Amino acid sequence: MKLETKRFIIAGLGGLFLLSLVLVQWMETARRAEEAGLREPHIAVPASSEQCVSCHTEQNPGIVTHWTGSTHAEKGVGCYDCHEAMERDPDGFQHEGYFIATVVTPRDCARCHDAEAEEFAQSHHAAGGNILASLDNFLAETVEGSRIDFSPHSPAPGRNFGLVNGLASANSGCKQCHGAKVALVATDGSVLTVDDFAPDENGFPTNMDAVALIAKDENGKPMMDSDSWPNTGIGRLNLDGSRGSCSACHSRHDFSPRRARQPENCGKCHLGPDHPQKEVYEESKHGIAYRDLKDELDLDAEEWILGETYAAAPTCATCHMSGNIRNGGRITHDPGERISWTNRPPVSLAMDTDINHSIVTETDPETRRSLIHDTWQQKRDRMKNVCTNCHTDSYVNSFYDQYDALVNLYNEKFAKPGQLIMAALADNGLRTSTQFDEEIEWTWFYLWHHEGRRARHGASMMAPDYTHWHGMYEVAERFYMELIPQAREMADHAGGGAGAAVHQVVNDILARPEHIWFEEGAEGAAELIRQQMQDRYGRTGN
Amino acid sequence: MANPVAAWIGDRLPVSGEGLKELTNEPVPYHLKRWWFALGGTPAYLFIVQIVTGILLAFYYEAAPATAYQSVDYITHEAAFGWYIRSLHKWGATLMIAAVILHQMRVFFTGAYRAPREINWMVGMCLLICTLMTGFTGYSLVFEQLSFWGATVGANIADSTPIVGGFLKRMMLGGDTYNQATLSRFYIIHAAILPVTIMLLVVVHITIIRLQGVTEFKFEDEREGEQKTFNFFPDHLYTELMIGLVLMVLLSALATIFPATMGPAADPLTTPDVIKPEWFFYVAFRWLKLFSGTTAILTMGFIVFVMFAWPFIDEQIRKRTRFQEASVWVGVLGVIAIIGLTVWEAIARH
Repeated sequence: MKLETKRFIIAGLGGLFLLSLVLVQWMETARRAEEAGLREPHIAVPASSEQCVSCHTEQNPGIVTHWTGSTHAEKGVGCYDCHEAMERDPDGFQHEGYFIATVVTPRDCARCHDAEAEEFAQSHHAAGGNILASLDNFLAETVEGSRIDFSPHSPAPGRNFGLVNGLASANSGCKQCHGAKVALVATDGSVLTVDDFAPDENGFPTNMDAVALIAKDENGKPMMDSDSWPNTGIGRLNLDGSRGSCSACHSRHDFSPRRARQPENCGKCHLGPDHPQKEVYEESKHGIAYRDLKDELDLDAEEWILGETYAAAPTCATCHMSGNIRNGGRITHDPGERISWTNRPPVSLAMDTDINHSIVTETDPETRRSLIHDTWQQKRDRMKNVCTNCHTDSYVNSFYDQYDALVNLYNEKFAKPGQLIMAALADNGLRTSTQFDEEIEWTWFYLWHHEGRRARHGASMMAPDYTHWHGMYEVAERFYMELIPQAREMADHAGGGAGAAVHQVVNDILARPEHIWFEEGAEGAAELIRQQMQDRYGRTGN
Repeated sequence: MANPVAAWIGDRLPVSGEGLKELTNEPVPYHLKRWWFALGGTPAYLFIVQIVTGILLAFYYEAAPATAYQSVDYITHEAAFGWYIRSLHKWGATLMIAAVILHQMRVFFTGAYRAPREINWMVGMCLLICTLMTGFTGYSLVFEQLSFWGATVGANIADSTPIVGGFLKRMMLGGDTYNQATLSRFYIIHAAILPVTIMLLVVVHITIIRLQGVTEFKFEDEREGEQKTFNFFPDHLYTELMIGLVLMVLLSALATIFPATMGPAADPLTTPDVIKPEWFFYVAFRWLKLFSGTTAILTMGFIVFVMFAWPFIDEQIRKRTRFQEASVWVGVLGVIAIIGLTVWEAIARH
C-alpha cells in the first residue's frame, strides 16, 4: 500500500473517531438534559422485558404507559426484573417463556432496595397485618360480617349468589389498608398461605405437601384466592414470609416518588373517623401552606431534602420519612423513628421501644431502662431535627409542651378512668367477654378509638378543631353523657355487691377534682371566667 | 542560519538527528506489510487505553465493600462521561485479552517462538497470565453479585492447590474469607502491581525483539530479488496508526452501543443460582466442573507448564521424530478444546 493511500485512510479513520467522540458528547448532553428534566427520558426496554412490553402494550396499555414514565424505565429496570420468580416460589408460573410471579413482595424489591426494605421491615407499617387478629378485625369479620359464609335468605333478582361472603367487609375494608394474608387456592378447595408453606430464610417453601396442593388454571398458573388478592395493604403477609407491600405507597407501575411525597398518598388509609391524620393535616398551617405552595416543593427532585431542595411546606413524608439538612438528608422507611407518643391504644404510651422495635410496656423503672433500645426522647429529637428547619428550638419545645399536656389530659381525665370503669364492669360480671355485644362497649370504643384519637392526633399536628370540637368535646360528651350513665344503669340493674362495686368506682372517679363539677355543680365558674376576661381585656366576653 | 529554538533544545538534549533516525528507522521485515502480522502492537495499544481510562475511573472508585458498588454506580450513572470511560475500560479489557490470545496463537502457529526466541515466548506467556489476572481482579472490583461470587469461587479454586493452596487463598483475600481488606487488595493488584509488571514485561519483550529482530517469513507469492525490508518510519508507523484508529473507532462504537451495565449489588448472604466468571475464564471454569478441585488445578497447572516449555518440547519433537509440524496439530487441538469448553460453559446453565 502506498504511503499516500495510508495517509488518506488514517485521515478517514481519524475523522470517524472524532465523529464517534461527537456522538458521545451528544449522548452525554442528552443524558444531562434528561436528568435536568429538560427532555423526555429515552426509554430502552431491557431485552428480558421486550416481550412483556410488546404484548401488554396491546392488552393493558395503561401498565406500560405507567412504567414508561417511571424511574425504573429510565434506569433500565424492566418487568422481568421485578416479576422474575425462582423455580421454588409457590406462586411462580411459566408465562410466554419466562418464569414469573404476579405478586411482587418487599423481598423482591430488596434485590435492589435492600436498605429501604430493611427499614420498612422494622416499622409499624410492616406489622399492619397484625390487625388480622385484633379487636378491629373482630368488628369486620364478626360484627359487620360473618366468619362463616351463609346462604342468602331471599333471591337477588338478576344475580345468582351461592353464598354470602362473610369476610367481604374485612377483605374490601380492613385488609386493603392493613394488608391481606396472600393465599393460593388449593386443589381440595381450601386456601394456602404463608403459614402452610412455612418459608425458609430465603423465602422458599419448606412444606412441599402444601406446594403439591396448589391449584392451577389451564395455563399452569397458580390460582390466587380472591379474598386475598388484589391487595396492596401495607402489612400484607406474603407467601415468601416477607411482610408488606412497597406499592402501598409507591403505586405500581410508575413507582413515583413524587406521589409518595404527597399527603394524598398517605390519605388512602390515614383518614376517617378513627384516625383522621389527613384531615387533621389539611386543617393545620402545614396543610394550608402545602395547598398554596405545592408548586414550590420541587416534588420531582431526585433528592428531596428539606432545607436544601425545598422549604415552602411540609408534607407527611417530610416530617415522618424524608431527609432534611439537619440529618444529612437521611430518609427512613420506618415512620416510627420520629414519633414520640403512640396514640393508637386507649391510653397513649411513650414510644420507648425495645430491640425488636416493640413498645416497652414494663412499668418497673429499672427493668424498663434495661429493655429500652430507642427512647421516646431520641425519636422526638429526630422529629425536632425536621421542625427546626423552619422553627426555633424554643418554639418547637413549647409546641411539644402543648402536645404533651393534651395527651396527658386525655389520658388522665378520660382514658384511664374509662379503662377503670370498663374493667370494673368486667371484673364484677356485668359485661361479657364478647366485645360489642353491650351498648357500653360501643360507647367506650367510640370514646377512645374515634374521638380520643381525633383529639390526640389533632394536637399532634396542630389542628385546633380536631383537637377540640371533633376531639375532646366529643370525648367529654361521650364520657359524661353516655359512659357514666350507662355504667350506672348497668350497676343499678345488677344491684347487690357487683352493682355497688361498680358504683364505687364511678363515684371515686367523679369525686376527683377534675370531675367534681359534674355532680356537685359548677355554679360560679362561668362568672369567674367572665370576670377574668374582663380583667384581662377590659370588656366582657360573649 | 540555524533555528535558535532547535539549537537551544539541541544544547540540552544532545541527541543527533542521525542517531534518532537510526533508532526509529530500523528496517522492518517485508512480511509485516501483511497487516495481520502487524497485530503484535495491538495489545500494547489497548494497554495504553486501559491505563488512561483506568486512571480516570480511579478518580471516583472507592475500594471498600460499603462503597465500591455505589462508586461504580456513580461513575456509570452520575459522573460526566463516566459511562463512556467505564465502557471503554470494559471493552478495552475484553479486546486486550482477545488480542493477546490472538497474538499468541499467531506466534504459535507460525513457529515464531522457536530458537533463539524461546525466552521471548515465555515472556509472552507471563504477559498472557498477567493480562488474565488483571481481568479477574478488575471484574471483582465492581462488587456486584456475580463479581463478588466469582472472586469467592476463584479464591476457593486457589485453595484447592496442593500444599500452597491455603496460603494462596489467604494472600488473595487478605484473610480466610472475603473481608473488608479483600477489595483494597484486589484494587492495588489490579491498578498498580499488575500494570507495572505488564509494563516491565512489555519493555523486556520489545527489547528482545529489537535485539533479535522480528522473525522473517518468506511467502510463496514473493518473487526472488524483491525488497526484503522497509522503513519503520513512516511506513510501518502508518500501519500501526491505522490499526490503532480502527481499534479506537471499534471501542467507541462498542462503548456507545453496548455500554457497561450494573448487576445487583454483592450480597454475601445470598448465593446466586448461577455463578459465571468473565468469558475468558469460561474454559477454566468448565474444566473445574469436569474434574474435582485438586485434579483440575493440577492438570491446569500442567497445561500452563507445557505452554511455557513448548519451544523446548517442540524442539525435542522435531529433533527426535519425523513430526516436524506437530505444533500445528497440537495447536489446532488446543484451539478446538478452548473454543469447545468456552462455548459449553457459555450455553450451560449449571
